[in-house]
Amino acid sequence: MSRAHRGTIFLEEAEVIENDRRPAGQHVLRMRSPAVAARAEPGSFVHLRCGASLAMRRPMSVMRADRAEGWFDLLFKEVGAGTGLLARCGRGDRLSVLGPIGRGFSPSPERPRRLLLGGGVGIPPIVFLAEHLAASRPVVLMGSEVPFPFDLRPSSIPEAGLPAGAALGCLEAAGVPSRTASRAGLPGCFDGLVTDLARGWLGVRSSRQRVELFACGPEPMLRAVAELGREFGVPSQLALEEHMACGTGGCAGCNVLVRTPAGPAMKRVCVDGPVFDGASVFGAATP
Amino acid sequence: MSNAAAARQSQEVRPSLAVDLCGLTLASPVVLLSGCVGFGEEYTRVAGFDNRDAGAICLKGTTLEPRLGNPPHRVHETPCGMLNSIGLQNPGSREVIEGILPALDFAETRFFANIAGATLGEYAELARRFDDSPVDAIEINISCPNVEEGGLIFGNDPVMSARVVEVCRRATAKPLFTKLSPNQTDVAENARRCIEAGTDGLAVVNTFVGMAIDVETGRPVIGAVRAGLSGPAIKPLALHLVYQVHKVAAPHGVPIIGQGGVASTEDAIEFLLAGASAVGIGTALFYDPLVCRKVNEGLAEWLVRRGAGGVAETAQSVRAAAAGGGGGRTG
Repeated sequence: MSRAHRGTIFLEEAEVIENDRRPAGQHVLRMRSPAVAARAEPGSFVHLRCGASLAMRRPMSVMRADRAEGWFDLLFKEVGAGTGLLARCGRGDRLSVLGPIGRGFSPSPERPRRLLLGGGVGIPPIVFLAEHLAASRPVVLMGSEVPFPFDLRPSSIPEAGLPAGAALGCLEAAGVPSRTASRAGLPGCFDGLVTDLARGWLGVRSSRQRVELFACGPEPMLRAVAELGREFGVPSQLALEEHMACGTGGCAGCNVLVRTPAGPAMKRVCVDGPVFDGASVFGAATP
Repeated sequence: MSNAAAARQSQEVRPSLAVDLCGLTLASPVVLLSGCVGFGEEYTRVAGFDNRDAGAICLKGTTLEPRLGNPPHRVHETPCGMLNSIGLQNPGSREVIEGILPALDFAETRFFANIAGATLGEYAELARRFDDSPVDAIEINISCPNVEEGGLIFGNDPVMSARVVEVCRRATAKPLFTKLSPNQTDVAENARRCIEAGTDGLAVVNTFVGMAIDVETGRPVIGAVRAGLSGPAIKPLALHLVYQVHKVAAPHGVPIIGQGGVASTEDAIEFLLAGASAVGIGTALFYDPLVCRKVNEGLAEWLVRRGAGGVAETAQSVRAAAAGGGGGRTG
């Protein structure tokens, strides 16, 4: 009997190194958590106890991890009780972290033209993936309805099929082309959806058999990315989110309907995902 | 060192937490509850978690055939608790018995099956199938609030509950526990009927039916609308039900696995003092995956403080002292 799964998720009392306030109630929380930092991959998440008063942990995607220095970053926006407590954390505070959890993104070597899409709550794992893949020069599209939590600058890396516009400074510095989209009239950002930008980019690609899509964001966005993949015949890897209780595969609380060769199945977002093949989700009828 | 010497030494380090439950010796009174720990291996993903810290593990509710369960959302946080409506998702009894049980290490802890039928015949067939399996005991789930058929239809009617127990009793010689529903008028009466029908033990109590509404969308948060409330929010309710059921069960020597919102040693002791022989933990594991170990350590300290008898004897003596004292104090 295989015991390979045992001891793969770590429970740490992580120390807050910095709580960096960004616009519109957004925060970048840097936490010292060596076991998680050493093993986190793009797409993996931590299950965070935001406070003793809450009966459920909060799943949050890792945005960056530094194995050598033993920290990871989370990006969150203050929206409810859990993120409200996190927002008030300061340097030296300790939070119970369970992680890293989940199967992350696994880019196919046969498809080196990678288009990454992050929207709102789904921005963090796409930042992680973009920086991880920087050497292979992915193309990154980010959407937000509130001011971006990063410095934007005019794009200096042209990319066929994409208009010029505001790009993420951190990615430009790494040589990764990016564009931003918003329907909130943010200066320099494309006025529309990230999937509108993606459609333009896909439309001018002549060798789509070398393209793969990666996305995380609100469900309507992910549905649109899956649909784009179908329309252009391009595979997509989507990081899903769902209400979650245990984060270890024990409770089946975060399950979503997935098509498998054996028929429809309810798969756990926590340990079977959070990344799923876009062709297998959103489409089958609910049970 | 001889075995006896080693045993003495470990005795000095920590008193035995062993309890007897229907003839089964559990290394600890802490039982991990059905639906919270998958099929026994899921939580071992967490470094430091050890199945040996639990006296027993109740496996996920199993039906005759596979079930996909309910649509999302299946869980939702509430003040001091959570709602769940999984809908008994499971791969079916054949896969559980042939594919999952052989991969469990029964040397680590006791594993209990949890069975849920839609008809009396299904309950009987499930009990038969698990009787011919390595599980240590069978828990009859007549109280799942999250399925349309079976579940509460049996669990909220004492006569129907007893009929389920009867057919399972005829189908298995293994220890049989019946998990009672709190969503009925007289839980103790239901317990009495189940004891008459042959249950060896009782699990008190399952989740309380509830719901939540998203005030932005106006729609129920939980995909299946109805859900079961668990967590610290229900602890006083569950504790009182254990207290009531104990009055009915104790004369028959029928043990209770007390459960509902247990999150700490103090909670566990309360349930033991209310009459439980073992204490179930579920929701607390979600935010504190090493809670079993902490409760074991706390119980060991309690035994030392109270004179280092066994768990059952200590609970009994504290209860007796409290009853003799006539007041609310327990010692």
